[in-house]
Amino acid sequence: MEKKTTVAEKGAPLETVPEAGSMLRLPASAPLATRPIGVLVPEAGHQTPAVGQRAPRLDGRLHGLGQTKYIDDFYLPGMLYAKIKRAGIASARIISIDTKEAEAMPGVVAVVTGRDVPCNSFGPSLKDQPVLADTRVFHAGDGVAAVAAVTEQIATEALDKITVEYEPLTPVLDPLESLKLETPGLHAPNPNIYGHKVIKKGDVEKAFAESDHIFEGSYRTQMVEHVPLEPHATVATWDPNGRVTIYATLGRITLGRADVARTLGIPTSRVRIVATTVGGNFGGKNEITTEPVVALLSKKTGRPVKCTFTRAEEFASSTTRHPLIMDYKTGVTKDGRILARKIRLVLDGGAYCSWSETTLSKACILSAGPYNIENLYAEAFVVYTNKTMTGAMRGFGAPQVCFAYESHMDEIAAALNIDPLEIRLLNVFEEGSLSPTGQTLHSVVVKESLLRAARRFGWIEAQS
Amino acid sequence: MKRRGRGMACMWYPIGFTVSANPSAAVVKVNEDGTATLLTGTVETGQGSLTVLAQITAQELGIATDDVHVVSADTDATPMDTGPIASRTTYVTGNAARLAAEKAKEILFEVAAPMLGVKPNQLEARDHKILVKGYPQRNVHIGDVANHARVVMGQPPIGSASFNPATVALDPETGQGKPFGTYVYATQIAEVDVDDETGEVEVIRVVASHDCGTAINPMLVEAQIEGGIAMGIGFALQEEILFDNAGRQINPNLTNYIVPTALDMPEIEVDIVDSHDPTGPFGAKGVGEPTLVPTAAAILNAIHNAVGVRITSLPATAEKVLAAINAKRGQQPKRIAAG
Repeated sequence: MEKKTTVAEKGAPLETVPEAGSMLRLPASAPLATRPIGVLVPEAGHQTPAVGQRAPRLDGRLHGLGQTKYIDDFYLPGMLYAKIKRAGIASARIISIDTKEAEAMPGVVAVVTGRDVPCNSFGPSLKDQPVLADTRVFHAGDGVAAVAAVTEQIATEALDKITVEYEPLTPVLDPLESLKLETPGLHAPNPNIYGHKVIKKGDVEKAFAESDHIFEGSYRTQMVEHVPLEPHATVATWDPNGRVTIYATLGRITLGRADVARTLGIPTSRVRIVATTVGGNFGGKNEITTEPVVALLSKKTGRPVKCTFTRAEEFASSTTRHPLIMDYKTGVTKDGRILARKIRLVLDGGAYCSWSETTLSKACILSAGPYNIENLYAEAFVVYTNKTMTGAMRGFGAPQVCFAYESHMDEIAAALNIDPLEIRLLNVFEEGSLSPTGQTLHSVVVKESLLRAARRFGWIEAQS
Repeated sequence: MKRRGRGMACMWYPIGFTVSANPSAAVVKVNEDGTATLLTGTVETGQGSLTVLAQITAQELGIATDDVHVVSADTDATPMDTGPIASRTTYVTGNAARLAAEKAKEILFEVAAPMLGVKPNQLEARDHKILVKGYPQRNVHIGDVANHARVVMGQPPIGSASFNPATVALDPETGQGKPFGTYVYATQIAEVDVDDETGEVEVIRVVASHDCGTAINPMLVEAQIEGGIAMGIGFALQEEILFDNAGRQINPNLTNYIVPTALDMPEIEVDIVDSHDPTGPFGAKGVGEPTLVPTAAAILNAIHNAVGVRITSLPATAEKVLAAINAKRGQQPKRIAAG
């Protein structure tokens, strides 16, 4: 049998291992001097062991040369361009949608509305979001109709020819108003509070009574967008066997396939989802957005269809970060040890649930901070409002509660005249600490990170 | 006048989903030229995770990062994956890739054992070779073993595996349970300049000390931390979606919704904390989301340190900071220095 020559073999002496069959001539390791110089210090990507190497990204060369193909770079023969009409009104009943004029426009090949969607609802936990709103608009970024045309410009112009008659409703914009029980449920019969979480440990009230000082603080965060460089984009095309292939900027293709199949009313096996290199996700591309719409337009026209979000759609029609209203109450000893903490979080869930349940849980579990607190009561609510839906975004509630618990910590430190580093070192988790949910923590290095950062920064002397 | 301040924030953050199953599966094939192919259903969303998965696969097989070709993100061709969410790719998909590579390696060992006249458990994979432990001069190139496995033994070296973090559901009354497999920890310290006449905040320096378990690729960890801090600065100082009274966004564009640019970036000093998690692939945990978590808190604490005002609602725009400074001045009568 022919044997491949490897670098190590060049000029290397051979040794014979007699006891093992036919391929007995094996190379001994080559002396260093016989190796080509270039191999002595190979690039990180060529080095072993591989773990720990500063290996360049596998796709780095493509990015560097501008050769990475994003969805918007795709073109399939005969491809059409889709645009989606947005409601532009935060809360309304849809009386009628007239698409005749748009359909009659030269260059427009198809128009679809929510009534064309076989199963017009989706969502990772609650299926409360329509693919295209058909009876009710819950936020201004809702899609109400979609057009496929031979150019993007014609598709955009056709949107203006679609007439939607609304019965406007008073939008609920303030999460605290939505929290009130007397506020009518937006997604009736479901109540506006669509998620609730409690973490309870010890006896908070008793520990407050035993505390030397009680501190209270209230904190709020805003709604922000993921702002990926690449907006949401999709290309869909059907084959003659009735199988649809969707190229999409989706992070979760397994879930996406199930959602697309469900909304289109076809078996999962008839959906193929291919994600290219996605130009930034940060949580905003975890669930489907317009994939079913583009697939329907492609099916209706028999041609491939592409849809790329504008930046405005990226803001108004994809998920955003939950604004939080956070109330903290903490009981401490006079030397700064936390005895008890009570927390209430209200999450603005926006128009649809999306990843609110996950955000609610994570925010609630993490809200006490990385601190040993034996008496804890944390309660979190997520409510509907008629604003852009909030969903998964890098940190799932953690950046919000960290802002609260770390601001609160500094307020306590200042009032007790303790250095911010010292009060943290006094309270942080250690190996084997119990988390607020009673989990024994392992590989805990929060103290190390505090000390290392403090030394590096010059907060404390490097040698201490 | 510009006033300088410093502020710190530490945090903890879990890896993977809250309680719910979030499995990843992977397939590893060892090719006859000594390279390997990894099939994964996760998606590269810009963070470099496919490179990390290649490194984990390569490490298990004793080959180099560039020897691993990754096929990803096609529901027809790749095994299921919960996806790049919840900072789970290195930990969950990484564990699946490592286990799949281990299974392929077991086949290589079975095939190489008679070639080297030893038992499979006396072998290890290192430097592109299958070699006898303690006798590194007795070895076979991994490609030769893979080829032998296919054409002589009829046993292609392909491994597949899946991984799902072990969790325990939370009690609905008390929230007690084990929602996550592991957690990471971090501290960031920010230094800021606050102009007390305009309220403008400039972040000068951020020291970021992060735990990610073993850093599979320290360069990519640093990149994640730098990106997270950029996002954290936007969250702390600039970004906000604004609505009119009717609930319509009024700034859905990058002219009026201001994200940080290179000019807003501070000097960043990244420090990776020595850490090893026995439940992660080669001790790794994850790093994606936590990089942003403490940034805003550290900056806001630094603003307080600089000018003595505590902004309790984000973002701390110049207007908001100036209003707080003026309010504080209003409480304290102005002193006019004598002379």
